[in-house]
Amino acid sequence: MPFAARRKLFLVIMAVPVVAYVLVVGIWPLAQGIWYSLYDYNLIRPQRTKFAGLDNYVEIITDPVSRQALINTAIFTLGAVFFELLLGFLLALALWRDDRFNRLALALILIPVTITPLVVGLIFKGLLAADYGMIGYFLAEWGLTDPRGLLADQHAALATLIFIDVWEWTPLVALILLAGLKALPSDILEAASVDGATGAQKLRIIVIPLMLPAVLLALILRTVDAFRVFDTVYVATGGGPGNATNTLMLHAVKQGLEFFNIGRASAIANLTLLIIAVIAAAFVMMIRHADRKANGK
Amino acid sequence: MTAKYWFQAGRRAFLVIMLVFFLAPFLWLATTAYKPSSAIFSIPPTFGFSPTLDQFRTIFRLFDVWSLLRSSVLIAAGSVILSLALGVPAGYALARSKSRYAMGIAYFLMAIRMIPSVAALIPFYLMMRDIGLLGSWMSVVLINSMLNSAFVTWLMFSYFRGLPPELEEAALTDGCSQFGAFFKVALPAVRAGIIACVLFCLMFSWNDFLYPMFLTRLESKPLSVALLSAYGTKDITWGTLGALAHFSTIPIVIVILFLNRYFVQGLTKGIH
Repeated sequence: MPFAARRKLFLVIMAVPVVAYVLVVGIWPLAQGIWYSLYDYNLIRPQRTKFAGLDNYVEIITDPVSRQALINTAIFTLGAVFFELLLGFLLALALWRDDRFNRLALALILIPVTITPLVVGLIFKGLLAADYGMIGYFLAEWGLTDPRGLLADQHAALATLIFIDVWEWTPLVALILLAGLKALPSDILEAASVDGATGAQKLRIIVIPLMLPAVLLALILRTVDAFRVFDTVYVATGGGPGNATNTLMLHAVKQGLEFFNIGRASAIANLTLLIIAVIAAAFVMMIRHADRKANGK
Repeated sequence: MTAKYWFQAGRRAFLVIMLVFFLAPFLWLATTAYKPSSAIFSIPPTFGFSPTLDQFRTIFRLFDVWSLLRSSVLIAAGSVILSLALGVPAGYALARSKSRYAMGIAYFLMAIRMIPSVAALIPFYLMMRDIGLLGSWMSVVLINSMLNSAFVTWLMFSYFRGLPPELEEAALTDGCSQFGAFFKVALPAVRAGIIACVLFCLMFSWNDFLYPMFLTRLESKPLSVALLSAYGTKDITWGTLGALAHFSTIPIVIVILFLNRYFVQGLTKGIH
C-alpha cells in the first residue's frame, strides 16, 4: 500500500471511535427522544402507550405552565447574560494590566466557576434564608424584602436566580474577555496613544471592535448554558414559588423523571434543543462574520 | 496626586470589592462546617463562633463518606480516561486530515457539547434500563464521556492544528511508524492541551449531579448526589452540609488554583 493511502487509513482509524461512540451513546438516544415525543407514553402505565402525533408539542404551547417555563427561561437567559457581559467586561479591563496582584486576583476570582453548581445553589439558599441567613435575615428584618426571603418571593425569585448565575459565571466571562484583550495588537493601541486618543476613544474605536470575536464567544457559551440551566435552580427554588422560577429543563425533568411522562418530557427537551441549536447557529455565523472583519478579509 | 494615581487606586479598589463579592459566599459555606449548630441557626445571625469539628464527626456518622468519595473518583477517573482515549487520537486525525469532511465532523462534535443534559438523559435512562446498567457508576461514565469526548476532540483538534506537521513528517521519513510518530512526537508537543482536557473532563464529571442522581443507586452514588439528599434530610444542618461540601469542592478548587494556567489556555484555544 502506498504511503498516502496508509496515512489516510491510519487517520480514519484514529477518528472513527469517537464518531461511532457519539452516534451510539448520543445521537441514537436523541433520535429515540424524537420518537418518544410523538407518543402518549407514561412509564407508570406503559401498556396504554399510543401514537399521539404532535399532541405533546401542541400541549407545550397551549399549557400555561410550559409557557411560563419558556418565558422564565428566556428572561433568565437575557438577564444573566446581559449582567455577566457587563460586569465581566469591567473586570477584564481592571485585570488587563499584567502584575502580581492581578495574577493572584484572577486565580482567586475563578473559584466560583469551579464550585459544583449544586453547592452554589445551596450556598445562596443558606445565605438568603429569611430566618437565620447571614444576608436574608437582615434584608427581611429591615423590610427590604418579603418576610419569607428573596427566594420565596413570587416577584423577586427569578431576579435572585439571575443574581446567583451572575455570581457563578461572571468570572468565566471576564476570563474570556481578558484573553481577548491580551490578544489585541499593542502597536495599534500605542499609536493611538501617541496620536492623543483618550481612554474612552481607544475603547470605542479599537478595543471593542477588535474584541468582538471574544465577546461573541462569551455570549454564545453563556447563552447556551443559561438556556439549559438546571442545577442551581433545582436546588435553590425547585421552580417555585408557584411556577415563578420553573425553567424548561426543570419542567422536563419533573415531567419525565418525577411524573414519568416520557412523551411530554421528550417534547420539552427536544424543543429546548431546537431553540439552543438556532441560537448557537446564529452566533457561530456572527463569529465567523466578525472574524473575517477583524482579520480584514 | 495625579489622575493616573487615582485611576490605579480606583482599579485596585474595584478588584478588592469584586474579590470579596466572589469569595465571601464560598467562605461562608466553608466556615459553616466549623461552627456549632447553635451558631448557625441563631436568630439574628451571629458572626463570631468557637470552632469545632463536630460537623465532620456527624457526617462520618451519617454517611459512608469514603464510599461516596470512591464513587465520585470512579466516575471522574472513568470519564477522564475514556474521553481522552477517544478524543485525543480523533483530534489529531481531524487536524491532520486533508479531507473536506474533517472540519464538518469537528464542528459536529463541538455542537454535541451544547445538548441539554435532560434531552439525552431520558432516552439514555431507558436505554440503560434495557441493557441492565441502570444503577451503576459505569452508566454515568458512559454518558459523561459522550459529551466530554466530543469536547476533547474539538479542543485537541485546535491544539494539533497549531502544531507544525513537519515534526511528525520528519519522524515518518526517518522510518518511525504512524503510531510512533503520534505517540512519541506529536503527543508530547501538546502536553498543555492534554492537561487542559483532563481539567475540563474532571470538572464536568465531578460537578455533575443530574446524571448520577437518576442513573446511580445507593451504593454507587457520588458526593454530588449525597449533598442533595443531605439537604433534604430532616436532621441535617448547614454545618454538616458545609462539612460534606469540603469533600466535593476542595479537590477541584485546589487542582484549578494550581493549574489555572492550563485552564485559561484551554478555554481560549477552544475559541478558534
